[in-house]
This record gives sequence, structure tokens and C-alpha cells, in this order.
Amino acid sequence: MPAVQVENLVKTYGDGTQAVKGISFKVDDGEFFGFLGPNGAGKSTTIKILTTLLRKTSGSANVAGLEIEHDAQKVRKLIGVQMQDTVIDEDLTGRENLELQGHLQQMHGEELKERVNELLKVVDLGDAADKRSAYYSGGMKKRLDLASTLVHRPKILFLDEPTTGLDPQSRAQVWSYLKGLNQTGMTIFITTQYLEEVDRLCRRLAILDHGEIVAQGSPSELKSEIGADRITLALENGNTGTGSLKDKAKQVLGGLGGITEIVDSDEGIVVYAKNGGFLVPDIVRAFDTAEIKLSSIGVSSPTLDDVFLKHTGRRIRPEEIDKSRASGMFGRRRR
Amino acid sequence: MSLASDSYYMFLRWMKKLVRNPILLFFSLFQPIIFLVLFTQLFSSFGLLLGGINYTIFATAGIVLQNAFSSAFQSGTAVVDDIKSGFLTKMLATPASRASILLGRLLSDAFRVFAQSLIILVLAYGLGVFPVTGFIGYVLILFTVAFFGLAWSGISLALGLRTKSAETVFGIAGTLTFPLLFMSTALMDKRLMPEWMKSVSAYNPISFAVNAIRDLIMIGYNWNSFLLSFGVISLIAILTMGATIYEFRKVVS
Ligand SMILES: Nc1ncnc2c1ncn2[C@@H]1O[C@H](COP(=O)(O)OP(=O)(O)OP(=O)(O)O)[C@@H](O)[C@H]1O
Ligand SMILES: [Mg+2]
Repeated sequence: MPAVQVENLVKTYGDGTQAVKGISFKVDDGEFFGFLGPNGAGKSTTIKILTTLLRKTSGSANVAGLEIEHDAQKVRKLIGVQMQDTVIDEDLTGRENLELQGHLQQMHGEELKERVNELLKVVDLGDAADKRSAYYSGGMKKRLDLASTLVHRPKILFLDEPTTGLDPQSRAQVWSYLKGLNQTGMTIFITTQYLEEVDRLCRRLAILDHGEIVAQGSPSELKSEIGADRITLALENGNTGTGSLKDKAKQVLGGLGGITEIVDSDEGIVVYAKNGGFLVPDIVRAFDTAEIKLSSIGVSSPTLDDVFLKHTGRRIRPEEIDKSRASGMFGRRRR
Repeated sequence: MSLASDSYYMFLRWMKKLVRNPILLFFSLFQPIIFLVLFTQLFSSFGLLLGGINYTIFATAGIVLQNAFSSAFQSGTAVVDDIKSGFLTKMLATPASRASILLGRLLSDAFRVFAQSLIILVLAYGLGVFPVTGFIGYVLILFTVAFFGLAWSGISLALGLRTKSAETVFGIAGTLTFPLLFMSTALMDKRLMPEWMKSVSAYNPISFAVNAIRDLIMIGYNWNSFLLSFGVISLIAILTMGATIYEFRKVVS
């Protein structure tokens, strides 16, 4: 029985925004599943639907074999969910936050106490457990939030960017903890901006763009689909070059053999080609003849980054996203 | 059943938040205390017009209810906070009974008004306000006020759930408080009111509750006014709770 099964899922918000436009996918029991996509792709919307927090417009969705709207109450006992924005009660201590969450999952007494102690240690909040969580740092709050989704030992865990905003060390900690949870049999459904970790940990992933799934499979399948090395060209004039210069460069590239795809990116022009290493001298020579100055050229084997770029035309940049989010949140608070 | 235990833990959460933000407990107490200490002195000569009674004793019932009224409006703003922070969503992702989210909040409202009213009554006692009905009178007064507070919490909850704006809840509360208070028997006997106000105050729900409590303080057991006030408060409670449940359902689904 799959942990999550979604067919033709559609969500149209009240204002007419079509956030999810008929997606289908399946997550197997015990899988570590990555759900990627650029901002506004519909990731959070999908998670809210799967966790019974939002009504779907049409299509079908089953979680742990249960129809999510018909069996919402049963689904809620089996899942844990961490929303994108950190949510804890800042008037309560870390321990109290976890205990409340446990109580609402019908856990009580010694069993709950022990579980909470164990979790506090795991997320490294043992020392701050009895401090008001208002005084926690951003990373501590995020870890507490994660712990609060785990109190009742969910079978399926939904995580909406659980490591965004964490420092690299805490991030690595969280990922390794998630890996451990997955090894105990917990299904993990995660959205994230960190593709390296996805590559390392996710058995399968789906890429969502504008409410539609544009690719799904295992990381290695998706990378090999690209079937080519990646050559990044930066033009002398700034890092992208002016429009006409870029067009000229593309024209020159179009005249060369062996290139499978030419894509614009923020860093310049990305060219996909089989045996890219051999092509580099040809490119340099051709640009020389056309009098286009190159500031750099590099070859690499494809990564999930390339997969993402190929299917969405955009690149994920965790740091920038962090920054824009942080300022967005600040703005909201001040209102 | 989980409704009872869920509500208990929701209630406990609000209690902890209240204790950790004592300002919330005392913020709304400030005004009634000013009324109790200063306003009653300023208007003490009204006692003479009312047949030589102590005006502080007369006004206590109104002041206790005024506090219940303004305290009730904190409920709506607290719920707005939970909506904005996402905590409501977090609770909705658990199997906790939906009703317990409202019930826990309402229980904590009743408790808060109960505690605040007790503080006011103790202070009033210090100023010479001794209810003629004694201990049982106190108990009845506190329950009436708590019930009254609950009924008004319903309005603020419904407003908060509907507008999702703390400012709106406060704005409406501020606009309503004084007209409703002044057009009732809270601070003035109806014999001293102009005719039109007399008729308005006769239908003002605050008057019913004030009269019941004032009777317990000044006259004794007047079951007619007591039951009448419970009838009126019940009616308000049914209306406001209906609106709250209606708005809550919209937010939750
Ligand atoms: N409550 C809402 N009402 C109307 N439109 C909404 C609502 N919530 C989200 N949307 C819109 O639906 C689309 C998908 O949003 P969603 O939050 O699911 O994206 P996302 O993939 O999670 O993006 P991000 O990476 O920025 O978190 C966006 O266009 C967004 O503006
Ligand atoms: Mg999102």
C-alpha cells in the first residue's frame, strides 16, 4: 500500500488562482520522497491538502490508504506535519510545546514525558527545554517545531522546507536525523531548496512547476535523462552579456555539432552536450572567430541542479530565498 | 472522551499564556479600578439623590460588568493571533476535537473574568461594599459575571474569526463599550435618567445583569431579577455562540 497516492489533484483557490492543476504521483511506504519546485509552484498547497488542512477542488488523494477527506481524523493520527513558517507557542517552554502536541495526539503520563525528553535530546534542546521558546534562536525554534511533529511517532512525515533558515551545521544535523527516522521505516515527504541533500537522501522525487509535475523519478534516473555534460559559459560583458551579445553567442553555439540543449541561466549560457570536455576547444575557437569574449567556461557532469533548471528554466538558490523570506516575515510582523 | 481532555489542555495552554503575560490580566482591570476608586468619589453625591445611599455600593455591580465586557474582547484578539501565527492550523493538523479549540478558549475566558471580578470585589470590600447576601451572594455574583463574560466573548470571537484583525476587534469593542455602559443602569439609577434613555436602558442587556447583581449586593435575593438576567444572558450567549461556531466552521474547513 502506497503511503501517498494522488490522482488528478486540482486546487483552485477562492480568488481563482490555480495552484495545483491535476497532478498525479505516488509515494511508497517507507520512501524518502522529495517534492521540489520553484516559488509558487504549489508545493505548500499540495502539502496542506495531503495533511487535511485544505480542501481539494477535485481529484483523489489517499494517505496511508485512507481517503483524506472521508477519513481525515484517522489520517491526522498517522501523520506529522511541519509547515513552512515555524509555528510554536512562544509563551510556552520547549517542553510544554511538545507536551501540548502530545496531549492533542492523546498521549499522556509517563509515556509522554519520556518521549518528550528523548525528542528534546535529539533536537539538541535539552538545556533550553524549560526556557520560554520566545527566547530561542531561529534555528532552535525550527528544531522545536520539527520535534513537535514527531511526538506521536507518525508513520508519514510531511515537511515543508524544514531546514530553510538553519545554519549549515544544524542543517546537516536535521538531515541526518531525518535519514535515521527514514531508516526506522518512517515515510518522509519533503520540500526543500537543498538539492545536494535531496540527491543523497531521496529515493525518488517529483518536480512541480506552475502547478504541474514536470518530472519525476529517482535522482539518478533524472540526471541520466539529461544524458549530457553541462558547460557553463560566462560572457565578458557582465556575467550574462547584453541581449544581443547573448543572442550572437547562441547563434555561434547553434552552429556547433554535439550540443543537445542551450539554456539561459542567471550565470550565463548553459550548454548540454555529450562528452562536453571535447567540445570546449571547439567553443573557444568559434567564439574567438566571432570576436565574443568569454570570461569563463566550465564543464561538469549533470547534477539535480541541471535537472531542475532543465525542467523549470530556473535555478534554486537557497541563500537568496532565505533572505527574501526573512525580510518578508519581518514585514508581516511589523504590520 | 477526547473533547473533555482536549478542552482541558487547550484551557491549560491559555492559562499558562495568561500567567506569563500578567499585563493581559491587569490591562483591562485598570479602568474598572479607576472607576471604583475615583469615579465613585467624583459622583458620590448621586447617592443623596438616590435616597442617601453609598454610591460606591451602587456602582460596584456596574463596574464589575464593565470589566467583564472589556475583558471579553481579549478573546477575539487572542484567536486572531493564533490564526496569524499558524498555531490554529497546527492544532487542526492533530486529531484534537475541533470543538475543544473553542471550548478551551471560552473556559479560560470565564476563568479570567472570574478572577478579575474577584479582585474588584475584594477591592470594593476594602471600600466598604459588603453584599447583604454574604458568601452565597459572592458566589452568585461571580457566576453571573462569568456567564455574562462568556456571552460577550462570543461576539469578540466571532468578530476575530471573521475579520482576522485584532485592530478591528479592539475598534469595535472601544466603540461599543461606553454607549452600552452609559445607556444602562450600570452607573445610574433609571429614576435619574431622561425619558428616552430610560426606555433604551430597559432593553439594554447590561441593565439586566447589573440589576441582578445590584440586588444581590444591596437588597438580598431577588430571584425574579436573577432569573431574568440569566434568561437574557442565555439568549445573548446563544446568539453570539451561534455566530462564533458559524465563523469558526468557515475558518476551519
Ligand atoms: N490562500 C491562498 N489564496 C490564493 N492564492 C494562494 C493562496 N495560497 C497560495 N496561493 C497561490 O497559489 C500558488 C502556489 O502557492 P504555494 O504556496 O503552494 O507555492 P509553493 O510551491 O509552496 O511556493 P514557495 O516555494 O514560495 O513556498 C501561488 O501562486 C500562490 O500565490
Ligand atoms: Mg511553500
